Amino acid sequence: MSPLPRLAALRRRGRALLAARERVYGINRRNLELVYPNNARRDYPLADDKLLAKARFEAAGVPVPRTLAVCDGLFAVPGVVEALRGRGGFVVKPANGSGGGGIVVVGPWLPERGGWRRAGGRELAPAELTRHLADLVFGVHSNQLEDRAFVEERVEPHPLFAGLWADGLCDVRVITMHGAPVVSMIRVPTAESGGRANLHQGGLGIAVDLETGRTFRALHRGCAVERHPESGAPLLGLDLPAWPELLDVARRAAGAVPLGYLGVDVVVDHVRGPLVLEINARPGLEIQNVVGAGLGDALARGAPPLAAAAAAAAAAAERGAT
Amino acid sequence: MAFKIRALGYSLADVFPARQYEVTYALSLDGHGGDVRVRSFLPASDERQLVSDERDASSGLSLAVGVDGPNRLATWSGADVPDGAAIRHVFRVIPRAVSYAIPADLTVPDTVPTSAAVWLRPEEEIQVDAPEIAEALGSIGADRGPLLARLQRIHAFTSGLTPRPFKGTTDALTALRLREASCNGKSRLFVALARAAGIPARLVGGLVLESGSKRTSHQWVEAYVAGHWVPFCPTNGHFAELPERYLTLYRGDEVLFHHTADVNFDYRFETRSELVPSARAKASFTFLDVWGLFDRLKLPFSLLRTILMLPVGALLTVLFRNVVGMPTFGTFLPALLAAAAGETGAAFGVVAVLVVVASVATARWAMSRLELLHSPTLAILLAAVVFTLIATTLAAERLGIPELTRVTLFPIAVLAICAERFYLSLTEHGARTAGKELAGTLVVMLGCYVVMNSLALQVLVIGFPEVLFLVIAANVYLGRWIGMRLSEYRRFRGLLAGDPP
Repeated sequence: MSPLPRLAALRRRGRALLAARERVYGINRRNLELVYPNNARRDYPLADDKLLAKARFEAAGVPVPRTLAVCDGLFAVPGVVEALRGRGGFVVKPANGSGGGGIVVVGPWLPERGGWRRAGGRELAPAELTRHLADLVFGVHSNQLEDRAFVEERVEPHPLFAGLWADGLCDVRVITMHGAPVVSMIRVPTAESGGRANLHQGGLGIAVDLETGRTFRALHRGCAVERHPESGAPLLGLDLPAWPELLDVARRAAGAVPLGYLGVDVVVDHVRGPLVLEINARPGLEIQNVVGAGLGDALARGAPPLAAAAAAAAAAAERGAT
Repeated sequence: MAFKIRALGYSLADVFPARQYEVTYALSLDGHGGDVRVRSFLPASDERQLVSDERDASSGLSLAVGVDGPNRLATWSGADVPDGAAIRHVFRVIPRAVSYAIPADLTVPDTVPTSAAVWLRPEEEIQVDAPEIAEALGSIGADRGPLLARLQRIHAFTSGLTPRPFKGTTDALTALRLREASCNGKSRLFVALARAAGIPARLVGGLVLESGSKRTSHQWVEAYVAGHWVPFCPTNGHFAELPERYLTLYRGDEVLFHHTADVNFDYRFETRSELVPSARAKASFTFLDVWGLFDRLKLPFSLLRTILMLPVGALLTVLFRNVVGMPTFGTFLPALLAAAAGETGAAFGVVAVLVVVASVATARWAMSRLELLHSPTLAILLAAVVFTLIATTLAAERLGIPELTRVTLFPIAVLAICAERFYLSLTEHGARTAGKELAGTLVVMLGCYVVMNSLALQVLVIGFPEVLFLVIAANVYLGRWIGMRLSEYRRFRGLLAGDPP
């Protein structure tokens, strides 16, 4: 190849790179253009504290997993443990935990043993639960001096999600801008990721088409895959159950808090349908790699979120009218 | 800043550091229990060299310093001096290169001041009035014409003599006859020819400073030109100039050491050098003079420069984090570690960090089963850091690595925080992330070390603390900068290339 066409090709590639750079968000740009203008710092606790968020959601009628008990001090712990004796299927969480630290998933009550079976098979005695709740209240898993602990009903995932990861929950992350869903993916824990849905630790990300609720791309350790790397189950072309309801739940959750740019984590219960698990005021950027497009594309598509919502409302009205 | 340069006479050139030499006269002698006297010359400060921190450590001999004409004369004397007596005289000096321009039309003056006229007379080994000198002067054409041309011819002639390793004293005539000489022969011949041409000239004795230990001293020449003593070195070909490393000890045809006979006298000159802020910088920075303030409060210069350089180090860390995308433990830690490493050197700073991180991570792991609260855990980790540093110092002493024993100089809290961050990252994000952050911290720390220990930058910031406003401005710019980090080009390379992975 003579140098001239090569140079032209290089320039073309350079231009393409610059154009692509406009669409892809880096951390600096996310913070300055998405997080800071839309999320006031004083509202961060609403995202960081799961109990505060839940209170907002319940007030706004957004479905969430039912709260069974709250410990807001050491004095409350014995009462909570007594109340739980005899019933199974719940999850114990710190209100301000991060990365899944301090979460204990409890299975059925075993009357003859006087304790519970934990997810994974080990037994949990009431004394151990007492101790764990006390630890949570003392902030051992929250990097702060004290925290609140709460107990909520264990979500039984819809079979489609249970098929992706049998030992726990896969959630659907929906990024919303002023209440409008922008882009979404399923986060699937793997044995490799130690049961955490963290994409950097070997979790699986599956892109979901916003319009149809159908999965169209999957990413594992930075590589596109078509099948689950461990179970071999197919990942593409799956139609998520209750997709319109799920988006609606995400929209309403986003509308219930004063945060404009959010990652809303939704799980689908096999009976109750979509439930909001938690929200994140600084959702990560790896979702761009999962869906194979920069956030700029998605934000531009949903650019006038109010107009889109208005159009949706108009369409709904039309359906109602006919 | 512009104001300081214009109105207060600050000079930006002053920010560059000067090379300071520490010179030791190491003299030894066997006194055989009798009276001993040793006489020598000590350097004086002048416009070419600044002498300071002079101190004397001599066993059983007392020092008297007097002035003898242009020279400082030192006399060590003692009674009942034993064998193996030692004299150590140490001083620091910042020499400066000089260069003179002699106007081409300057003529040889008919009369010179009396103080200079003494340097026209013949001396025992500078035979000014010997016929051979006059003859040589004529044959090289230095007996006529303007002063510059004469000096150039004399310099060219004496420089052109065959060099010879030092073999004691050579007088001017011998050098002329043999057409070869070492430094003192060439210089004496230069002086003899210059004086014969009517130009006052004198020998200069001193040292050519270079790190190490040596016995060789050096001689060169000064000629009196229009009220200035201008240096020449025919041995090394310096005309009307001297490089920085020449140290003047005495002027005139003198002998460097006189001593009592039969004392087995020996001497060496030991020289070390380091970069220091130039003295002119200190003198010229007068407005908002933090330097002077620290001097008055008797606070060390190293503390001042560490404090002032911290924002610069933090800016560098910001660049690494937000532009390169290199993860570090916090924004201040690399700069703090670099400041701490200023005392131990970069390599041992890295070693200290690695050793402490390893031991604290181990301690933290061992304690994790106890599930203690945060503050008591930190307090225990601090104890672990102390144990580690003491153990490292002990081990270093056993192994004979003196530099490593200095890890105890490292601020313990900084190390403890670094180790704590490492452990938190390890438990929250896994070994990969923690390792990356540790490596990033060490890389940025080394970057900060280089930048923060740059003497020129330090003096710039000390002379112009306003530079820190530029640092703030740079941070404001970076704080509004939405560009992608270098690491993100790799992370999103599929998206950027238009074909997602």
